[in-house]
Formats: sequence, structure tokens, C-alpha cells
Amino acid sequence: MMTHNHFRSFFAPIIILLIVGALFLLGLYPNLSIILGGIALFLIGMEYMESGFKSFSGGLLENLLEKFTNTTPKAISMGFLATAIVQSSSLISIIIISFLSAGLISLTSAVGVIFGSNLGTTATAWLVSVFGLKIKISLYAMPMIIMGIIIPLFLKSNAWKGIASIFIGLGVIFLGIGYMKEGFETLKAGLDLAQYAMEGYAGIFVYVLVGSVATVVIQSSSATMAIIITALATGQIDYANALALAIGANVGTTVTAVLGALKSNENGKRLAVAHFIFNIITGLIAIIFIYQLTELVDYLAVIVGIAVDNFAMKLALFHTIFNLIGVLAVTPFITILVKYLNTIFIPKGINKGKPKYLDNSALVLPSTALSSIIMETKHLYENAFDIITHGLNLKKKNVLSTMDLDEVILDLHTHKTIDIDDFYNHWIKGLYGEIIDFSTKAQENMPPEYIEELYKLKLANRDIVDAVKGTKHLQKNMIKYTSGRNEHIKAQYDDIRKGLAELLRNIDTIAKTDEEDIIILLLSKAKIHVERYDIITNGTLDKLIRKGLITNQMATSLMNDSNYAHSISKNLITMAEILFIDIKSDLKKMHEELSMNEEEVNLLIKEQK
Amino acid sequence: MSIKKFIESVISSLNLEEFEIKGKKKSIKRLLEKLELRKSILNKTTKKNLTKKEKKELKEELAIITLQIKKGNKLLDELNTKNSKNIQTKKDK
Repeated sequence: MMTHNHFRSFFAPIIILLIVGALFLLGLYPNLSIILGGIALFLIGMEYMESGFKSFSGGLLENLLEKFTNTTPKAISMGFLATAIVQSSSLISIIIISFLSAGLISLTSAVGVIFGSNLGTTATAWLVSVFGLKIKISLYAMPMIIMGIIIPLFLKSNAWKGIASIFIGLGVIFLGIGYMKEGFETLKAGLDLAQYAMEGYAGIFVYVLVGSVATVVIQSSSATMAIIITALATGQIDYANALALAIGANVGTTVTAVLGALKSNENGKRLAVAHFIFNIITGLIAIIFIYQLTELVDYLAVIVGIAVDNFAMKLALFHTIFNLIGVLAVTPFITILVKYLNTIFIPKGINKGKPKYLDNSALVLPSTALSSIIMETKHLYENAFDIITHGLNLKKKNVLSTMDLDEVILDLHTHKTIDIDDFYNHWIKGLYGEIIDFSTKAQENMPPEYIEELYKLKLANRDIVDAVKGTKHLQKNMIKYTSGRNEHIKAQYDDIRKGLAELLRNIDTIAKTDEEDIIILLLSKAKIHVERYDIITNGTLDKLIRKGLITNQMATSLMNDSNYAHSISKNLITMAEILFIDIKSDLKKMHEELSMNEEEVNLLIKEQK
Repeated sequence: MSIKKFIESVISSLNLEEFEIKGKKKSIKRLLEKLELRKSILNKTTKKNLTKKEKKELKEELAIITLQIKKGNKLLDELNTKNSKNIQTKKDK
């Protein structure tokens, strides 16, 4: 497969040739420089708007995209609305890829958003045809740019800076359109592009190709649409050819998406394939039915009150209609498409010790970065769960079942010693390091409330690692005494195994349930049961020694190992409180107040006695 | 006016602080209902057929639930007091 670097080295000479060619053309036709300058300004304006919306929305855009995309129609609508407002399908794509990487939305929803986003990009055509061509630059564009420069001088918050960027962006976009329009009008005197108009399907194919190439070069279908509309409004191109150019812009944008996806993760690549399939099918439908669509546009234009000779707005209507038809045609097959997408770009050789969710694309937003860390910490816990159960010589399936715990401890996992160090090095150490490294990177762009959550997650990670380390220490004597002849010490170690098995089972229930009362009950129970390991206070050790049931050496081992069991349990309970109570749930808000403190735990233990 | 101050004044003028307290109160009430239901189910359990171990577990669960209900009610009272204080402060203004 060709890598992104190969593509870059392949395209580099072409780009240099294009630049040289452009400079030569500029020498021949100085008016072209006005048009090109207009395009450049348009692209700069879009960049400003994109970064402005990113700072201004302050998580609102992400929240909306996360919450209102659970069904395909909702996902399409959100993709449409978000792109139409933000005027940037690339920003929406970045957010959606990061959501997918962080496991916040399903692939079906993500594909839906991308379809809707494609429809949302048609808003640019309306913006250009309705406002852009009529707007007086001195009246709107310039004041907008001035406002955008002045606002951050007095208002320093990120939100105001975002609003300022949106003002500058919109102003520069209108300025760009103004220059393009002026350039085309002046160019007409020397070079009339309309003379190259072509009729019939040959003309359609040629202009589709021109539109595609232009979009690939400019890397923005919105900019291509702006050029087409201004050229059409100034009479530089024929209406029929403009329609074909618009189809070409849609097709060309898939190349941009595919090129962009080469450096993306597998989720980005899957979405790029979905985007590609959607645009190719939409393009084919539009080409095949171009004459019928033109008639439909003429018919609808009369209904919505667009003048017969307002070709710019008719083109915007055409652009919207054929994208809408694309959405209607492809959406019924979204399940099949997603099934296919799930079979491609599957990473080879999945390793338990390698991160599954820590993708740099998730670093774009604090919410997705945090979500990735939560998912990866859960992955770390899954690995730790396996190691701890193996270390305690328990079978994972038994721990997770409803089997009586007395039976669970009798059904041994193996008769051999398990090298916990080896498991730790392969499944925990590297993954833990990656989570901490990713967290440090994520922290750079996080607001304080997220940093607080991140800090707790780091503690949860440390608790998991400590629990595994504790199991390693516990394992040595556990093997010795559970296979030995002294029934009394064996019973004590089996009690430790049983207690930890119960805790692991309860944490699994907590992780899977949404019922707050169950979570509170199990966490409280776990806190009470931890105290069983305090064998000095509860008199167990004293009784065993006094009656001569265990040797001094056994007593020392039991005392130390009970301490390990106590620490492992405490670590796992603290971890579960952080990791398995959903950040957004009601319980998270009141858990700290309802959580049992040490005094209450001791009171309940006393009551039970 | 900074955005933060603006948001704070919007929250205050729209009574959103109380809205937050109301939301929390609603969550606690819902949790208390669930706990009460669980408690009544446990209380109705016939202890005759239970083993010693099961009886111990039942007793423990009942003790935990009773304590949590007590804590929940206390929290609810605190929120009610906070809410009425907020209303009083607004009236005084």
C-alpha cells in the first residue's frame, strides 16, 4: 500500500509544476492573480472560522454531536446542522474520528454524521449565492475583520477569541468572494472562458473532471463551489457546465478525504471509505440524471421564488438537491456499508499489552481525550483482572459466574506457578506507561474540571498497578500454604482468595449495572469485607497462635499477606469508585456524600458482631 | 463583562442554581425510593428457610441500606435548607 510519504513525494513535482505554471499564467493574465488571491483569502477565512468555532463552542459542539447521534436520522441531521453552522466539514470529520477512537459513538452514527455533513457543506453555496455576491465589502467584510481584531484586545477569554476568529473568518471569506468576482469580471475583457463551453454528455464529463481536479488542487470543495458560483454570476461559465463542475467538486472532495485519511487511524480510514462511496454514488446519480435534476431545480426554483435568471442560486439549489438525493439513496444501505467497513483496516496482531484507545486524533478535544483514557484504563483493569485471578489460582469464568464462592476457590486455574512478573511486564507495564504519557499530552489542552478528572484517573491507574504488584507478593506464600498440610493456615489463605474473588465479582457487577442502589450496596459491602483482613484486630491471628494451630513463621507470613490482601482490596475499591461510576451519572455527583467513611464501616462491623 | 461573569449572571437571573439543586434532589429521591424498595423486599424475606450464612448476608445488607437511607435523607434535608436559604436571600434583595 502506498504511504502518505509516497504520495507526498509523488505530488511534490506536480505541485511545483503547477506553481511555475500559475506564475507563468499570472504573467500573461494579471487579472488571474486577483482571482487566485480571492481563493486564497476564501481558504484563509475558512481556517479562521474553523478555529474560531473550535474555541467558541467550548465543548458544546462535541456534546451535541455525542448526545444526539444515537439513531441514523439524528446523526444525519446533526452532521448537517453542525457543518452548515460551522461551515467546515473537515472540523466535523476530525471530531467524529476522535469520537470513534474514544469509543464515544458507533461507526453507524459516525457514517450518518458524515453523510449529513456532506449535505451541510451545501450551505456554503447558499452563503455565497445569497449573501456573498451581493454584499458590499466595505459595509460588511471590512467591519467584521476590524471587529475580529479589536475584540481580543479587550476580551481575553477563549470564547471571545473564538467569536473574534469567526468574525475575521467571515469577513475574509466575503473579501475573498469579492476579489474572485472582481477578477472574473475584469478577466472577461481579455479572456472569455464561456467560449470553452461544451454541450452534451461530453461537456458534462469534461467539466466534472475539471471540477474534481480543481477541488483536489485547492483541497476544498467549498472554495471550488465559491469559484464556480462567482464565475457563473459573472457569466464566465455556462449554467449547464457549472452544474457539472459542482458534481466534480463533490467527487474531487473524496480524493481530498482519502489523502487526508492516509495519515489517520483505522477509524479515519473507514470513514474516508464511507465518504468516498457516498460521494461516488451521489456523483453517478447526479451525472446520470443531470437533465431531470435540472428540470427539477427549475420547477423548485419557481416555487421558492428564485428568479429564472438567478443561476447562482439555482446552482446552490442543484447542489443541495443532488446531495440530498445522495443521502436518501445511500442511507437505507448504511447497515450493509458499516458491516463492510468493520471488515477493513483491522490492525494485525492485537496485543493485550498494547493500547486500544489511545489515538492521537482523540487529543483534539478534552472530552475525547478523557474518554480514551477512561476506556484504556478499563482495558488495563481487564488485564489486571486476568493477572489477579491467575495469581490467586482462580478461574476467570468462575469468578464472573454465579457459582458459590466456596466452589470457586476449589476449582483451581492451574497446578503450576504463574510468573506474575512476566504477565506484569507484558500486559501492564507498557500499557500503564502509555496511559500516563497520553494523559500528560492530553493535560496540555484541558480545562481545570477535566484535569481534576484526569488526576483521579491517574490514581485509578496507579491503584490497578499496585493491586497487580500486591498479588505478586501474595502469590508466593499462597501457593506454599494452600498446597501444604496445615489445614488452619490453608483455610486462612483460602479465605483471602475467597474475599478477593468476591470483590472482583462485585466490581464486575458494578461495571455492568446502571442501578445506583446496587452500586452503593456493593461498594459499601466491599468496604466492610476489607476489614476481614485485619486479623490482628479481629483476633484471628491471636486465636491461631494461642491454640498452637500455626507456627510463628506461618503467623508472620499470614500477617504480611493479610496486609497485601487489604491493600489490594482498598486499591480495587478506590479504582472502581473512580472508573466504574459514570462521570455523567447522577451517582457521580452524590457519591462522595453517600460513600461510607471508616467510622461508619467500623460501626456496621460492630453491629454485626 | 467577561463571558464567565455573563454566564454567572444568566444562571442567577434564570434561577439555574436552584435548577441544579432540584436536579440533585431528584436524583437522591430516586435513589432513596430504590433503597426503600430493596429494604422492604429484604424485610419481607422469610428468614426460616435461610442458612446461617444467608441470614448474616441479609442482616448486613439491611444494615447497609438503613445507613444509606439515613445518609440520603440527611443530604436531602441539607439541600432543602440550602434551597430555602437561596430563596430567602433573593427575597431580601
